[in-house]
Amino acid sequence: MESTFNMKEFFKNLKKRLPLIIAMTVAFVAVAAAVSYLWMKPVYQASTQILVNKAPANAQEFSMQDIDTNLQLISTYNVIIKSPAILTEVINELGLNETVQSLNERIEVSSIEDSQVVTLEVEDGSMQQAVLIANTTAKVFEQEIRNLMRVDNVSILAPATMPASPEPVKPDPLFNMAVGAIIGFMLGTGLAIVLDQLNTTVRTEEDIDELLGLQVLGVVSPVGDLDRTDKPSKHTDRMELDENVEPDSVKTAARPKVGSTY
Amino acid sequence: MLNQTASKRPLARKLVARIKPNSVISEQYRTIRTTINFSLPGNEMKTLLFTSASKEEGKSTTSANMAVVFAESGKKVLLVDADMRKPTLHHTFNLNNHIGLSNLLVGKGELEQSVRDSGIRGLELLTSGQVPHNPAELLDSPVLDQLVAEMKERYDLIIFDSPPILSVTDSKILANKCDGTVLVVNTGKTEKQSAIKARDSLATSRAYIVGVVMNNYKLSKDHYYSHEYN
Repeated sequence: MESTFNMKEFFKNLKKRLPLIIAMTVAFVAVAAAVSYLWMKPVYQASTQILVNKAPANAQEFSMQDIDTNLQLISTYNVIIKSPAILTEVINELGLNETVQSLNERIEVSSIEDSQVVTLEVEDGSMQQAVLIANTTAKVFEQEIRNLMRVDNVSILAPATMPASPEPVKPDPLFNMAVGAIIGFMLGTGLAIVLDQLNTTVRTEEDIDELLGLQVLGVVSPVGDLDRTDKPSKHTDRMELDENVEPDSVKTAARPKVGSTY
Repeated sequence: MLNQTASKRPLARKLVARIKPNSVISEQYRTIRTTINFSLPGNEMKTLLFTSASKEEGKSTTSANMAVVFAESGKKVLLVDADMRKPTLHHTFNLNNHIGLSNLLVGKGELEQSVRDSGIRGLELLTSGQVPHNPAELLDSPVLDQLVAEMKERYDLIIFDSPPILSVTDSKILANKCDGTVLVVNTGKTEKQSAIKARDSLATSRAYIVGVVMNNYKLSKDHYYSHEYN
């Protein structure tokens, strides 16, 4: 089977199916918008910053070594913040109705390389709650770290605050709609290709020209269309018909039978 | 008599150009006639073959209607049913099929006595005759050449209806002997690959392909053919 991939042909087919592709794209954008605005609940994010730095006992002996020690501690702290030791305390203190695991999933701890600042981000359906959890976690951590590590080198640098008009971080309707548009476009294109591959019949005059390089002499409508398009035959037509069409019996009756056997 | 007229109606339905001369379909056949006339190299095309890639694409209907519209234009036309495997011409015109092409090819009977009147001015018919066991061999014989020569003397245009080209070899033989071949395509049914193969078979038979008739072509509302002029 001959299968040459023709770019021009390909785009021509896509152009033929353009309404389908556009419809798919629009449909996916609409679904993405509906899901974003109606179905997905908004998620707010609050962040607090924690500084890990132990004031040295002797101010004059502030050294690079102290900073290195702190930096190494940060990776440990990142784990500790999300540990049940801290989170159970947070849940108890705020009286949250959830498990350590579920709270853990909503908390993001990160630190920029070589910085002693740890950022704690909390996501929640309510901005107020997010701020509360972020601050409580930071506070609990600050207190607990003394017991756990027997050091006192954590201080809250910037507590989470409640903004005047909180903006949800999720969902991002525009982003979702853009993704929907891309998916819709790709699916539409894919579907157009599949449909085109599935239908291998001759359908248009262009097909004849392209496939066979032959002239289309004309087209003939299905006989079924006749009743729809044709006017009732006029009286004169019927007269002509009667005049010209003779009964066959007259012509065939007297004819001998020839060639009955070979 | 009465019975015959009654039984004729459903059979003759295919003969649109005859029973509904003012219909869009009849006009479409006339358009094809005009295009064929303009496509002729010179005026020497006297034998025209209608074939298709596969069965049931509309060869017989198209050739019968084309014969009618060619006869309408004042030509003396002979329509030959060269499909000796599944003949249909006698059904279309409600004739018997006791004598016809196959009989002439085995040397029985004369052309003049074998042709039948169609009831349409200028159009005569040659049915297939009784179904022979070796249609391809019959067509390949020099008898056909003599027969065609005789037909050309008597008629302005001889239209052959033939079997599907991809199924049997009959059409290739005929295409080689005819001045022009028209490929009938059933729109939306004929596979592209079949159409290509049909064209290639015709090319190897050294047929002159006049062009393609697209049968069962559903017109969109705003299509340029679909408006009745009068």
